[in-house]
Amino acid sequence: MATQRGASVEFREVSKRYSDQVAVDRLSFTVPAGKICVLVGPSGSGKTTSLKMVNRLVEPSEGQILIDGTNVLAEEPTTLRRRIGYVIQQVGLFPHQTIAENVATVPRLLRWSGERIDARVTELLTLVGLDPRRYAKRYPAQLSGGERQRVGVARALAAEPPVMLMDEPFGAVDPIVRDRLQQEFLQIQRSQGTTVLFVTHDIDEAIRLGDRVAVMRGGRLVQFSPPAELLAHPANEFVAQFVGSDRGLKRLALLTVGGTELETDVDPARVEPKAPRLEPSMSLRDALARLLTSESELGLVYEDGRFRGALTLRQIGHMIRSDA
Amino acid sequence: MTAGEPLIRWDWIASHGGVFVERGLQHIELTLIGVTVGFIIAFALSLLVLRYRRLEGPVTSITGTLYTIPSLALFALLVPYTGFTVLTAEIGLVSYTLLILIRNIVSGIRGVSPDVHEAAIGMGYTARQLLWRIELPLALAVIVAGIRIATVTTIGLVTVTALIGQGGFGALILSGMLTFFSTEIIAGAVLSVSLAIVADAMLVLLQQRLTPWVGAG
Repeated sequence: MATQRGASVEFREVSKRYSDQVAVDRLSFTVPAGKICVLVGPSGSGKTTSLKMVNRLVEPSEGQILIDGTNVLAEEPTTLRRRIGYVIQQVGLFPHQTIAENVATVPRLLRWSGERIDARVTELLTLVGLDPRRYAKRYPAQLSGGERQRVGVARALAAEPPVMLMDEPFGAVDPIVRDRLQQEFLQIQRSQGTTVLFVTHDIDEAIRLGDRVAVMRGGRLVQFSPPAELLAHPANEFVAQFVGSDRGLKRLALLTVGGTELETDVDPARVEPKAPRLEPSMSLRDALARLLTSESELGLVYEDGRFRGALTLRQIGHMIRSDA
Repeated sequence: MTAGEPLIRWDWIASHGGVFVERGLQHIELTLIGVTVGFIIAFALSLLVLRYRRLEGPVTSITGTLYTIPSLALFALLVPYTGFTVLTAEIGLVSYTLLILIRNIVSGIRGVSPDVHEAAIGMGYTARQLLWRIELPLALAVIVAGIRIATVTTIGLVTVTALIGQGGFGALILSGMLTFFSTEIIAGAVLSVSLAIVADAMLVLLQQRLTPWVGAG
């Protein structure tokens, strides 16, 4: 599969004013190519408006939005939109078209050859985990909510867009499906290298998916940082409250056992037998859960069968408190 | 009806097959022209209404007024200008289709879900592509429902045009009434009702063919 090159997206002093109110106020930030930036905030914070200014569903009142250095306002809107993937919460699949036709939407607008479109549709359905032989000829009404959302992602990726906009794409599916979709989406995004702007009101989703998290409030950018940084150093009381008083615990999900300093002066043969085995790739949150369920003070970390050291509850507690 | 005469004289019916075919073709022709021309005008007006919302009031009230004029009166009014012609008949027939067709075309297109609309625009559909590839196909079921009502109504109204020298099967009814010949009246009535039923059934089949996604799932 061809690896796509994402494009950088830069907001430069972007504002959107409606007659009586300011929806977005001098927004500036840059998303590096190939990264996921999550815009998060309470409703009315201007996150969706900001997103829609990128593909010009909303025209900015002021400022510039640059995709790889080119101002989106300089381009014809339909041409611009065909090279920006777009996924919305209600998916908006076309009910009168089969799944294959839906996925082929932008390639057809771009007048790709029939063969190229067919090959791309098969590739994409496989990528999002839907067997093309089973799904290609079905209509959207015959799919579950989770399946429809996958088709929405496939459709947005069809013409290999350098940038993808996603507006609460997993908001309407149940928590278990959402969890799986998020996981799969991360894998797909990493494999495709697409730059993603993602809107959500769910801070946990923002922390899980974002390489950068942009916290917005009242049309303004309150904080723009990697998720670990956001949890460790909330810019102000609003962000601290928004990320929640359990932000220390949340941060454990972002840290791995392998990235933590381990106690090496422990003899694995002499610790209590109930001490669980841990792997370096596990998150500290999962490790903590293991320790708590096995009622053990420490876990033994093995890498490829070799003992690397022990992880204790005390160390995890330290990581929760630490500002590092 | 003369005394002693049976209600239906089957021998008359058996010997008039050629007349029925001729009248039937005329009936179908008048109906097809009326509904087709009506649809073209209604479609154009609907696009205007969808584009310029302020036209909706005037278009609705004008077509609504046309719809309420009794057909006999309308034909009588037109005869001094256009005579006992097909044109007179069609002006009336077309006028009566407009209200229903416009209402269904407009509400069919407005009924397309806003999510579908936003997704299409967001992926780079032009306004024209949106109309032809998304909105019209999705409005098709509602539009065909309007065409069904318009067609059945028109088939009924065609019989009235017998009074201005047209009429299809209506001409049979009229001549039967003038000559007190019940067989001819009944034949004309039954045939025009049958035509309406068949036309409606064919349109239902057409709609199912055109919208295979409806009912999927």
